[in-house]
Amino acid sequence: MSDEKEMVGYRQQPGKLPFARPGSGGKNQFSQLRDDELIPESQGGKKKQPWGDHRHDELVTSSAIGKRTPLYDAKWKVTGQAKYGDDIRLSNELIGKILRSPHHFARIKSIDTSAAESLEGVVAIATGADATAKFGVLPVTKDEHALAVNLVRHMGDLVACVAAEDEATALEALKLIEVDYEILDSNNDMAKGLEDSENPIHDRGKYHIGESNIQKRVFQEFGEVTNMEQKAVASHKANWHFQGVNHGFTEPHAVAAHWDPRGRLTIYTPQQVPHYLHRSLADVLEIPMHQINVYRTFVGGGFGGKSDPFPHEMCAAILARKSGRPVRITFDREEVFWINRGRHPSKIEMNLHADSQGRLCGVATDALIDGGSFASFGHVTTYYNGVLHTAPYEIGGFHYTGARVWTNKPASGAMRGHGAVNSRCAVEVGLDDLSEQLAVDPMTFRLANLLPPLSATITGFRITSTGMRECLEKVRAASGWDEKFRKLPLGHGIGVGCGFFISGSGLPIHWDPNKFPHATVHLKIDMDGGVTVHTGAAEIGQGSDTVVAQSVAEVLGLPLDMIRIRSRESDTSPVDLGSYSSRVTFMNANAAISAAMEIREELIEATTEITGADKEKLVIGDRRIYDKTDPAVGVSYLEALHKAQEERGALVASGAYRTPPMGRAHKGAAAGLAPAYSFSAYVAEVKVDVETGETKVLNVWAAHDCGKALNPLSVEGQIIGSCHMGLGQVLSEEMVYGRTGNLMNANLLEYKIPTVHEMPNVFPIIVESNDPEGPFGAKEAGEGPLLPILPSVCNAVYDAIGLRVNELPITQDRMHQNIEKLCKEQGVSDPLELTSPSIEYSQLQEILAKRAEEHEKRDKERRNSENVEPYHNGALFGYEATIPPEEQSNEWEVSVTPSQEYLENPRLAGSAWKHVERRHRSDA
Amino acid sequence: MRTPPYSLHTPDSLDDAFAIVEGLLEAKEDFDWVAGGTDLLPNYKWHLNTKNHVISLANVAELNTLNSTHIGAMVRLHDLSESEDTHPLIRKAAASVASILIRRSATVGGNICLDTRCFWFNQSEEWRESIDWCYKCDCGTGADCRVIPNQNTLCVATYQADLAPSLMCLDAKIHLASPNGKRVMAMNEFFSLDGITRNVLEPGELVTHITLPKNASDFIGDYQKLTQRESWDFPEAGIAAAWKLSGGIIEELRICSTGLESIPRLHSDEANTAISNWNGEESVEKLAESVRKAIKPVNNTYFNPRYRRKMVKVLTRRCLKPLKNL
Repeated sequence: MSDEKEMVGYRQQPGKLPFARPGSGGKNQFSQLRDDELIPESQGGKKKQPWGDHRHDELVTSSAIGKRTPLYDAKWKVTGQAKYGDDIRLSNELIGKILRSPHHFARIKSIDTSAAESLEGVVAIATGADATAKFGVLPVTKDEHALAVNLVRHMGDLVACVAAEDEATALEALKLIEVDYEILDSNNDMAKGLEDSENPIHDRGKYHIGESNIQKRVFQEFGEVTNMEQKAVASHKANWHFQGVNHGFTEPHAVAAHWDPRGRLTIYTPQQVPHYLHRSLADVLEIPMHQINVYRTFVGGGFGGKSDPFPHEMCAAILARKSGRPVRITFDREEVFWINRGRHPSKIEMNLHADSQGRLCGVATDALIDGGSFASFGHVTTYYNGVLHTAPYEIGGFHYTGARVWTNKPASGAMRGHGAVNSRCAVEVGLDDLSEQLAVDPMTFRLANLLPPLSATITGFRITSTGMRECLEKVRAASGWDEKFRKLPLGHGIGVGCGFFISGSGLPIHWDPNKFPHATVHLKIDMDGGVTVHTGAAEIGQGSDTVVAQSVAEVLGLPLDMIRIRSRESDTSPVDLGSYSSRVTFMNANAAISAAMEIREELIEATTEITGADKEKLVIGDRRIYDKTDPAVGVSYLEALHKAQEERGALVASGAYRTPPMGRAHKGAAAGLAPAYSFSAYVAEVKVDVETGETKVLNVWAAHDCGKALNPLSVEGQIIGSCHMGLGQVLSEEMVYGRTGNLMNANLLEYKIPTVHEMPNVFPIIVESNDPEGPFGAKEAGEGPLLPILPSVCNAVYDAIGLRVNELPITQDRMHQNIEKLCKEQGVSDPLELTSPSIEYSQLQEILAKRAEEHEKRDKERRNSENVEPYHNGALFGYEATIPPEEQSNEWEVSVTPSQEYLENPRLAGSAWKHVERRHRSDA
Repeated sequence: MRTPPYSLHTPDSLDDAFAIVEGLLEAKEDFDWVAGGTDLLPNYKWHLNTKNHVISLANVAELNTLNSTHIGAMVRLHDLSESEDTHPLIRKAAASVASILIRRSATVGGNICLDTRCFWFNQSEEWRESIDWCYKCDCGTGADCRVIPNQNTLCVATYQADLAPSLMCLDAKIHLASPNGKRVMAMNEFFSLDGITRNVLEPGELVTHITLPKNASDFIGDYQKLTQRESWDFPEAGIAAAWKLSGGIIEELRICSTGLESIPRLHSDEANTAISNWNGEESVEKLAESVRKAIKPVNNTYFNPRYRRKMVKVLTRRCLKPLKNL
């Protein structure tokens, strides 16, 4: 299966083809036996399985899984042949340009396009009146139009669009469009969004919350919430302010739309979720879905920023329909910032409580998030800011209030680590503070409070596999933690942070029609032996094509060059929900495996027919199916395939994946549910220049539990890339709004993404916890690895100079101001005289270390035994582990609506519950 | 974003260039010089004070000379920073500009004549229209300054170029030429308030080269700058210092700041006062404080002016570190 003779067969003389006939298939004419080192012990191989067996063990052929594999589409990219959004050229195309609002909030009184229409070269102009149907990625919050209808809600909101013969003409035409606005009072202060307003940014009819700009509010209470403070011997409280950040992907949005002579629309766009665009286009254009073909181009980075159906995509389709010619629209970088969908600016109050036994007896979080002017994914984000920090730790009480408000800014949305990043940072920094107060090692503190494998979190999420403990232990050893923590000189520090993230959202965004699979994969194999894989999974650079190809190759024992992926067009690929919520590896690879198993079965059947061998003894190796007890008995892959094809031609198979039923019944219980979760722990080492406030991250030891690294090369790439992206948010990236409400840095010079100079050495460490339901044990690695970098850097800053940051990014000027304050507190005039923190462990340290040791034993037993008893969060606090605690005691609350008592003194986001929904009001 | 159309002129010599200039001046046509284009072209894309004619100096070979005392205006910053002939202080400053890609194209003359910057100004046309323009690019509206409101007589855009302070500390002379002839002056006299005027160049005049005095090599010094990132960013504050020692005594000391005001500024009085009575670390501290007091940054760049001023002190101190024990 070697790739060494890459070009064998190229320019071969006739009659000198290297394939034996019928041959084995593939470039290398000699097939090999299986590599025993890669076959699991459960199948008689030599691969150790410290985390137990897996249901896919028998499918392992040692072909592709677990090997460092360059991405399937890498050669297109490195040779410049990849066609991204703006590389699409359609003959006779027009160029589309968008007229955008210069105001933050205004009512459109009139639009006069007549002068623009009469400009030579202008072919079509569209305004809001051309498409009045609303759309939005979530069916519950469709609040966008292709072009503004009546109101413009932020500067850069779309007002009109023009298709012209060339870009210059289109731009000139924009200037000729006369728009008469009535300017309304705008707001970009999220706290003000909680109040009643004369002109709320949206009107949600009977579901409107008061007369406010609150788009979504969440209240959750679980566990012993009434007296968490009283039980605590150490409490942490911090009010965080996280600035908004943008994905900063390389490729700006670009789209081309074309209506063919049969009246079908093909739209070419770099989309992460082509299927939801497909649905939205049908809504907005008012045509059936089967009249639309969504063609995903190469995607030059998504990170969540290309996962909404976008108004410019509608615009291209509308202009193309009006003009009868293809229309292409490409964004400037500034327009990328106008469409945004980046991480929400957030104000988070984090309260953590630890009791005398060093247990986390209370977590109370209040998160106010700034949604900008549209809903986007915000409904989900509001939940995620709370529910995604209910693990990996066992907690005695969880109180969460969250609210998302509309402001007159470009919309926030989903960004890598969706909704989990900011509150995770607050939790992990809080844990560091609690450890400091308890005088224990924050590593040990974490290790003594982890949920075991096969357990349920406080809100009822199902933890299957967890490698959290191993992640912590590995970074502890690799970073030299015990020698460095609280021992480094002033300005030099080390810190730890953990992460927890969903591996695929448990519920699809659209649930009609009901009971559809999340992912479907089709296979087609004809006499040539190559396997065509049809999947709708969106390859956005993360390696989705590769992982699907690897899965099929592994099951069928084929080299990767025999697998070809067709994943671009909705016309040919089965529906897939798209590349969001880190679902692709888990769901698509599972679907691909199911499909490949069907083919595998047929090949084995055919082999039995040819050889008469015992079916049970047959195994698949490299392009050969043979008797494992006597490898000489067997046939080549092609022989088996051709036998199976007799009388029917090409083999086809379909496989699908759908999540198992899970979760509890309370309102919002589905938010954060996933078939598996990833875990990670990072240690960061930083240097802080106390005179300038500059923070330099030197090293990051990054351990991530991805279940099983199907492609270790790309897992490492994801870890390193996540570090870079997360570091941007910690160190320098922010969307800055000036006194006029304008976004001041809508360009990549002033929006400060870290350069290669700011990048630390990242040492990726892969932990494989063998998830029982994951494909070959795999879980996600695309988003979770971003979470720990923020708090590990913040905690390292504390270790370096004794400063607890509570605002990101920690730009030099902010840090300098904090350091000045610290100097005042410590009574020193020269920051070089600050005291570097030190620690002397209390007696609790030993107690925690012992508990961590016991838990380690517990966890190993649980993950390796056949019949595991249930474990519900709460056992650490004395409840019976096997029964949910709310069924054991009235003290254990489960509530999703605030009490009157709470409303008398709510936290900031919690005050959203003071409003009454219109439908419940007598005056409405 | 599209650069508005303009006519590009590509003379092969200064004489040719001036012939073009004379023609344009006569026709009352506006024009800009372009050297490396790393400043002008992005500004043109943003429609910032664009002109109908652009004269490129790319083919004017006589501006390429580089040796230890003569630096041609068209010398690329990368070549300047790599050349063994370049004074170490200038090499350091040149190597700190933007990124290697920019330095390969950007020139000495372009860096010295860099347009001033302001976050109300360096924005797209649509963006600036939304704030009703600003004084530096008012598009015929007579707009006020957005930094210091209610006035349109002074532009406070910030000069954020790296080379000038080091050249000024080494007492460089700047050589100008125009159809009317040549002139030479101290670098210090080249810059002139405000953020729109920027320097003394007359229409049709350009910088041909910089010369350094023969004794420049007797000076050693340092350049320290403040940026959020190590690469790409314009200096939010920059301090150059150069000194000449004689028998363990500071004979001469020059300090110059950039990235803080509309023009770079030489702090001669402060430096001379300090060396008249030099006392090691204490003098460094005092001098750093007096430089901090002398500059008055405004709020129009990435970092706030309060922080930038404080950093002036730190940067000055760091520049002068070798003098701490004298």
